[in-house]
Amino acid sequence: MKYAFYPGCVSRGACPELYTATLEVCNILGIELDEDSLRSASCTGAGVLQEKNLRLGDTLNARTFAMAEKAGLPLMTICSTCQGVMSQANQRLVSDPEYLASINEDLKEEGLEYKGTINPKHLLWIIVEDLGMDFFHSKVVRKLEGLKLAPFYGCYIVRPTEALGFDENPERETSLEAVIEAVGAEVVDFPGKTLCCGFPILTINPKNSVKMVANHTIDAKDRGADAMVTPCPLCHLNLDGYQPNASSAAKRDIDLPIIHLPQLVGLSLGIAPEKMRLNKHIVSTKKLLSELAVAP
Amino acid sequence: MEVKLSVRRYDPESTNTVPHFQEYQLEMDEAATVLDALIQIREDVDGTLSLRCSCRSAICGSCAMRVNGEAGLACNTKVIDALPSDGTAIVIEPAGNLPVIKDLVVDFQPFWDQVKSIEPWLQPAGEEPEGEYLAPDEDMLHLAGVVSCILCGACVSDCTVLEVDSNFLGPAALAKAYRFVGDPRDDADGKRLKALNEEGGVWDCTRCMKCVEVCPKGVAPMDRIMSLREKVMDAGHTNTNGARHATAFVDSVRHSGWLDELKLPIKSFGIFNLKAMISLIPLAIRSQRAGKVPPLIHKNIPEVENVRRIFDKVENKK
Amino acid sequence: MYDHDVLIIGAGLAGMRAALAATEAGVNVAVVSKVHPVRSHSNAAQGGINAALTDRGDDWRDHAYDTIKGSDFLGDQDAIEIMCREAGDEVIAMEHMGAIFNRDEEGRLGTRNFGGQRQARTFFVADFTGQALLHVLYEQIVKAGALVYEEWFVLSLIERDGECGGVVMMDIRTGKIEVVRAKAVIMAAGGLGRVFEPSTNAMICTGDGMSLAYKAGASLMDMEMVQYHPTTLKGSGVLISEAARGEGAYLLNSENDRFMLKYAPEFKELASRDVVSRCEQTEINEGRGIDGCVLLDVRHLGEKYISERLSQIRELAMDFANVDMAKEPVPIMPGMHYQMGGVKANVDGETGVPGLYAAGEVACVSVHGGNRLGANSLLDTLVFGRRSGVHAAERAKNTSHLSIDDSAAKPDRENIERLLLNDKNESFGKIRFDMGTAMKEHFGVFRENSSMAEGISKLSLIKERAQSVYVADKTNTFNTNLLFTLELGFMIECAETIASSAFDRTESRGAHTRTDMPDRDDENWLKHIVVSDKDGKPNISYQDVVITDWTPTVRQY
Repeated sequence: MKYAFYPGCVSRGACPELYTATLEVCNILGIELDEDSLRSASCTGAGVLQEKNLRLGDTLNARTFAMAEKAGLPLMTICSTCQGVMSQANQRLVSDPEYLASINEDLKEEGLEYKGTINPKHLLWIIVEDLGMDFFHSKVVRKLEGLKLAPFYGCYIVRPTEALGFDENPERETSLEAVIEAVGAEVVDFPGKTLCCGFPILTINPKNSVKMVANHTIDAKDRGADAMVTPCPLCHLNLDGYQPNASSAAKRDIDLPIIHLPQLVGLSLGIAPEKMRLNKHIVSTKKLLSELAVAP
Repeated sequence: MEVKLSVRRYDPESTNTVPHFQEYQLEMDEAATVLDALIQIREDVDGTLSLRCSCRSAICGSCAMRVNGEAGLACNTKVIDALPSDGTAIVIEPAGNLPVIKDLVVDFQPFWDQVKSIEPWLQPAGEEPEGEYLAPDEDMLHLAGVVSCILCGACVSDCTVLEVDSNFLGPAALAKAYRFVGDPRDDADGKRLKALNEEGGVWDCTRCMKCVEVCPKGVAPMDRIMSLREKVMDAGHTNTNGARHATAFVDSVRHSGWLDELKLPIKSFGIFNLKAMISLIPLAIRSQRAGKVPPLIHKNIPEVENVRRIFDKVENKK
Repeated sequence: MYDHDVLIIGAGLAGMRAALAATEAGVNVAVVSKVHPVRSHSNAAQGGINAALTDRGDDWRDHAYDTIKGSDFLGDQDAIEIMCREAGDEVIAMEHMGAIFNRDEEGRLGTRNFGGQRQARTFFVADFTGQALLHVLYEQIVKAGALVYEEWFVLSLIERDGECGGVVMMDIRTGKIEVVRAKAVIMAAGGLGRVFEPSTNAMICTGDGMSLAYKAGASLMDMEMVQYHPTTLKGSGVLISEAARGEGAYLLNSENDRFMLKYAPEFKELASRDVVSRCEQTEINEGRGIDGCVLLDVRHLGEKYISERLSQIRELAMDFANVDMAKEPVPIMPGMHYQMGGVKANVDGETGVPGLYAAGEVACVSVHGGNRLGANSLLDTLVFGRRSGVHAAERAKNTSHLSIDDSAAKPDRENIERLLLNDKNESFGKIRFDMGTAMKEHFGVFRENSSMAEGISKLSLIKERAQSVYVADKTNTFNTNLLFTLELGFMIECAETIASSAFDRTESRGAHTRTDMPDRDDENWLKHIVVSDKDGKPNISYQDVVITDWTPTVRQY
C-alpha cells in the first residue's frame, strides 16, 4: 500500500518524535510512504488561515490534493487537525463543481488541476479501514496488557461528522478505541475524549487553554488511565507541554504521559521506545515504559 | 419496540439532593421521538418528572437536553436513532453549562444574559424610510441561516469554552451578534465589533465545532464566529493576541509555505508583551531540556513562490 | 404584591406587540408568560403575513373581501376593514424593527401566494415567518427594557364589581403565588389547540386565556369555528405550511388525481382552508385516500427552489415522516390548527369586562368569522395587539388601582392545596387524551346532531373525572405535574363552550360543517354565537354580524 505522505507542520516542527515514529511504524506495517509528491505542499491553514480567507485555504488544499492526484496516490495525514481541515475543504470543493473550477483557475499556472478524486485519510483510519484489524492484529508482537489508556481524538477528526464521512464509515467514531484494544491495552473512557484540548486558544486565552488541559488529563487520570493516546500532534503539544502548568493551576500532580498514536502502535510492533523518541516528551514516559518492561 | 431510558433526576427539595439516574422501561412506536418517550413517562409512569417542552416540531427551542451525552432537541431525536446498539438505556440529562433547577429543567438566566449583552436589536442609522429598507435578497437571505436560530441553548450546553469560562459570550449570543453585524440595515458595526473584540468575545472560541455539530437548526454558530473574527480584523482591531495570532499564522504560511512555530507565539503575544513572553520561558526551557524544540531555522518549503503567488491571487479577489 | 399600569398575559406576537405599544405610550408595563417569550406558539406560523400594499398595486379592500369571503361571511366587516387597512404599516414596522423578509429583484419585500386570495400579498421569511417576527419583537422588548415575568403561570383574573383589576399568578420556579394589581389587563395567551387530539398546536396551547376571561365574566364568541389545516403530517400531526401550496404544491389522491381541480376549479389547492380540508376528508372517506391521508407533492418545484423557500418544512418532513419532499410526495391529512373564536373583543381589544382586553388568537374580534385565511393570524396578532396596547395604556392613565390585597389569592391557594392533597387516581394525560379524541370525533371536520350530542355527554363524564386527577409531584419547584392539572381545567371549560356553540348552530358555515344540515342559512344565521358563564354552565346569546359593503353571496373557489 502506497500513500502520498502529508506529515503536516507540527511533525516536522515541534513534534519530530511523531514523524520518526510514523516512519518506523509504516515500515513494519507495509505502508509505503511517498515523501516526494507532496514535498512542496503547503500548510492546510489549520482553520486559522480559513478565518481570514476561506477561499485561500481551499485553494491551498486543492493544490495539495492535485499533487497527490497527479502522483496517482491516496493521501495520508498524521494529524487530526490536518485531517479535518482537508476533509472540510474537500467537501466544499467536490460538492460544488463551479467553485472547484474557479479554484482550479488559480492552480493552472503551476500546471495543477484538482479533479476531486482525493480522499484524505489519517493513519488511524488507514489502520482500521485499509489494513484492517485482522491484519493489524497479526503484526502485533508485544501485547501491552495491563496498560490503561485514555483516548483523545482531537476535535477535527470527529467533527463535523458529515465532512469526515462518519455516515459511510461509522467505525471511525471508535477507531482509536479499536486500536487501543488491538494492542492489548484497556480503554479508559471519559467524556473529554472528543472535546477540545485547548491548543487553538493557547496564545489567546492561556488560562482557559490550561484549564482544558487540566480537566481532561485529571479526569482521565482519576478514571485510572496510565497514559493518554492521541492522533493529533496539536493536542499532544498542549496536553503534554502544558501539563505542568495545568498541574500548578489545579494544584495537584497529574503526571499523565501523552502518547502519539504511532508511538503506541510502534510499542506493540516491538519498536524500541527511543527510536520513536518517547524519551523526548515533557511529561516523562519513563515510569510507564518501565512498567511495560520496555524501558528506554 | 422496547425502550430503556436512564434519566438524570434532581429534586432540590428532596433530602437527597444528589442527582441520580432513574431507569424507565417503555413500549414505544418505531417513529417515536425521545420527547414522546419522556412525555409517556410523565403522563403514564411518573408524574414527578419535570422537563420543558412545547411545540414538538423543533421550532420553540424548549426541549434542548443531552441525549447520550450530546445536546439536541428531544423532539427531533428519534428513539430508534438514540438506542445504543449494545441494548443499554438511552441516557437523558439536562443541558450542560447551565445550572440545573430540577430534573431536566435548567436555569436559562445566564443564557439570556449573554444574548442580551450583545444589544440584540437592529440599530439602523438616520431616519426610517417611509417604506421598507431596500436590500438585495441575497444580502438578507444569507441571514436566514442565523435568523433561524431558535435559542434552544444546545450549542451553549456543549460549548467546550463555556465549560471552563463562564465569561465567554458563547456560541448562541455570538451567532446572534453576527446576525446584526451581517445585516446591511444595521449601522452599529463599529460599536458591536469593538465589543466583540474584547475578552470573552470572538477570540475565545477554540473552533472545536461542537456547536456546529449539535445545533438542531443548522445555524453553524462557529462559522459565524469565524466570520465575525474576519470582520473584527477588517475593522482594524488587530491589537489582540487572537488577531495577531491569525495574522502571524497567515504570514508564516505565505512566507514559508508552512508554520513557523517559534515565531508564532512571540508574534501572537505582541513583541512588547513582556509578561506573556516571560510566561513562555518555562515551556521553552522544558522543551529544551526534553530535546523537543522546533528547528531553530525555519526553512521554506520547496517552490514556495507558487504558494505566494496563490496568496496574491486569492487575496486580491477579496 | 406587585403593581403595574398594564399587565399583559402572554408573550407571543400579540402580547409583545401590545407591550411595545403600551410602553411607547409611557405607562408602566409588565408581561407575564408561562414560557419564555421566544418559546411562544407564534413561532409555529410558517407561511407569512398578509398585507395589501398600494405601491405593489394591491388594494386593502381586495384583501378585506378575500378575508370576508374566507370567513364565509361571518366575519365582522368593520373590524376586517381596520385589520386590512392597517396591515401594510404593521408589516413595514416589523421590517424597520429588524425582520429580514424575503425580497424581490428590486430589494423590496417580496410576496408569495396563499390560500383563498386572488393576489400574492403574503410577506414571508422563508417558511419560519412567525419565528422570525417573534424573535424580532422579543429583541424590541429587550431594547425597551419591558419587565417580563418569565415562567409565571396565571391562576385567575381578579374581578371586583364587574371590573378586572389584576391577576393571581404563580412563579413556576418556586411555586410562590403572588397578586398583581393592574389598571388594565391584556389577555394575549393564545389558542386552545390541545383541546383536540391530534392538533398542530404546541403543548402550551391549552386555552388558559379563554377560560380565565370566561370565568372572570367575559364572553366567548364563534367558539364553534375550529379550523382544520389541510396539510398536517401523517402520524405526528406536525404542520406543513400552506406556503407549500402557495409555492405550487399539488394535492393528490390514491388515484394520482389532483382532486382539487374538481372541487375548486379556480383556486384549486389554494381554496380556503375549510374547503380544502373538507375535500381531503371527502376523498379519504370515499376510499381515495392512502392510509387515512392524501399526498402533498412539491417535486415539480425542483430541489433548489424547495431548499430556498421551504427548507424548514422539508426538514420537518424528513425528521417527522422520513420523507424527502424533493424526492417523493408526503402523506398529509387535515389537522386541528386554530380557534377562530375566543374572548369577544372590539377593535380596541375591549372585552365586556372593563379593565380586561384581549388580542390575538385568544380573542375574537371577529375578523376570521367561520374560517381564517392563511397568513391572517400573524396580522391579527400585530394589528389588534398594538391597538389593545394603546387603548389599555390610555385607560391606565385615567384610572386608579382597585382596592385589592393579597387575600385575592386565597381561592387559588386553596385550590392548589386541594389538588395536591387529592388521593384519587385519574391521570391528567389520559383525561386530556380522551377529551381530545372525543372532540376530534364529534366536533372535527364533519359534524352531525346526534354525534355532537354524544360528544357533549362524553365531555360531562370527562369533567367529572377531572375532579379526581392525582398530582404525583408534591414539590414547589417547577411542578409541571400541577400545571398540567390546572391546564386540564382550562381545556375542559373551552371544550364545553365549543361543544355547546357547535350544537347550537343549525346550519353549515365556514369550518362548522354539519352533514345533516349542509347548507348555509343566511336568513337565520348571519349572527355570532356568544357564550357566557352562568353558574358554571355555558349560556348562549347572539350578536348580528356587522356588514358594511359586502353582501353575502354564494361562496365558490
